Amino acid sequence: MRPPAPNPPPAASSSSYSRREPRPENPLLLLPSCRAAKLSLGCPLLDRLLSGGLPAASVTEIAGESATGKTQLCLQLALLAPQSPLSASSLFLHSDLPFPLQRLRRLAPKSRPDILDHVLVAAAHSPAELLSLLARAQLLLSNPGRSPHRRPIRLILLDSIASLFRADFDASPADLRRRSALFFKISAKLKELAYRHKCVVVVTNQVVDVVERDAGNTVAWSSGRRVSPALGIAWANCVNTRLFLTREADGDGAGGSARRRMRVAFAPHLPEQSCEFVIRRDGVFGIEPTES
Amino acid sequence: MGSGENNPLGAQNAWDMLSDEQSQKHITTGSGDLNNILGGGIHCKEVTEIGGVPGVGKTQLGIQLAINVQIPMQYGGLGGKAVYVDTEGSFMVERVYQIAEGCISDILEHFPHSHEKSSSSNKQLQPEHFLADIYYFRICSYAEQIAAINYLEKFLGEHKDVRIVIIDSVTFHFRQDFDDLALRTRVLSELSLKLMKIAKAYNLAVVLLNQVTTKFTEGSFQLTLALGDSWSHSCTNRVILYWNGNERYAYLDKSPSLPVASAPYAVTGKGVRDVVSSNHKRVRVT
Repeated sequence: MRPPAPNPPPAASSSSYSRREPRPENPLLLLPSCRAAKLSLGCPLLDRLLSGGLPAASVTEIAGESATGKTQLCLQLALLAPQSPLSASSLFLHSDLPFPLQRLRRLAPKSRPDILDHVLVAAAHSPAELLSLLARAQLLLSNPGRSPHRRPIRLILLDSIASLFRADFDASPADLRRRSALFFKISAKLKELAYRHKCVVVVTNQVVDVVERDAGNTVAWSSGRRVSPALGIAWANCVNTRLFLTREADGDGAGGSARRRMRVAFAPHLPEQSCEFVIRRDGVFGIEPTES
Repeated sequence: MGSGENNPLGAQNAWDMLSDEQSQKHITTGSGDLNNILGGGIHCKEVTEIGGVPGVGKTQLGIQLAINVQIPMQYGGLGGKAVYVDTEGSFMVERVYQIAEGCISDILEHFPHSHEKSSSSNKQLQPEHFLADIYYFRICSYAEQIAAINYLEKFLGEHKDVRIVIIDSVTFHFRQDFDDLALRTRVLSELSLKLMKIAKAYNLAVVLLNQVTTKFTEGSFQLTLALGDSWSHSCTNRVILYWNGNERYAYLDKSPSLPVASAPYAVTGKGVRDVVSSNHKRVRVT
């Protein structure tokens, strides 16, 4: 009953995983792990918004303007992963320099200095560097035996995708095409790692003011500006779930600072809903609606 | 199963073809308005392309069809199975379960006496049963995608109860660095020919989900379906999903027999449904 070997592809596969024969999976058997393998955000309100946390085998984007809590959330997740039921290490890929080590230290629980051992950090300054890091990450994920003291990597954080594309690209159609081909290449690799190793993948993204050519992209008000996640609709096609962090223009929210909101812009498994949150010294937390 | 079967010679006259067409059932989308513009739903023996921006509901519709194709015959469905080829990783099993539950609760609402029916039909109406009757392929590269579609010809020969093949999306892995655009076009048209053949040979519906891209034409950026014009010839039907304010709409852009038309639809907790608001009044949910 074994299927015949598939015809060879017309060109070399971009994947270096050994070719497997197509084999259907039974969704019923995937159901328990799909429900269990969620990474909690460490806050019941935000977890409720996300139906339990961030899903594995899927790419989640966290978009928002600067200082809306994107990096804070990533650091928080990196520290939560080893303590979560996933009991995992995380791989923190950063393109903004320097890596916020002090913030990570401050967030880490004082009683558990060992938690920091489970956060692997690497810098990527260009799309090419990121792709080579992801190829190395694949080796690390495929051969977990090489690091006996380390827990398996089940969380990959990329902070941020937009800063990788700041330079070297202009607005000409040829450059836009080159750029979006790279989005799809990066996304395909992230999704493959997510699927094969049941990883939670989080990618942060900046925002840009709404421009005419980005019709069809997510739009939200933040700090009185109409903004969209950066990198256009091409990149929007590359993520499974998009979370949008926004800030209200006026500062009458909790603690005198502007109200912040985490909104599910789209997700295959979640309705479009939102939750207000605050950034505290010890992390990002959802708050109950204050107005009725 | 009824009068639509071919004669032993395999030949068909015009009358046979017509009655075959009439007896052929459609796969409901979950929305009556959407079914109406599609002439009853998604057609077997045809390839239907569904495109739209991220978040408009392509995957939701794909999952809905994988569930609805399984509605048992005694409840007006096809009682078939589904093949779901997931190239993007958006097939979330917990959502599939919810949509199956929604489908079952609608069946029980429309057939209130079905509770009294035999235990075998009640056993069919379990979300677990619906999940297990989807053959799920997760694809991580375009080479795997081609291999999977080649393999489908054999697989469907062994699984004749499959009535729908959904590819979500057909585009994703072809938008990476395909420097040789002529090769891409050739690979894609071979792929679509195979899918058309499969649809006809196994009397099933093929649904291809497609992404939307911006194209620079006549001095401005416009939204268009990905993969270019060469691809657009290879589908029998084309449906574009789009936002109109806060409402989702489907637009039948191409069909061999139906007029161009559009209809609103909603994505609810239970799945794809009609927009239910008094006089189609827009409801803003924030």
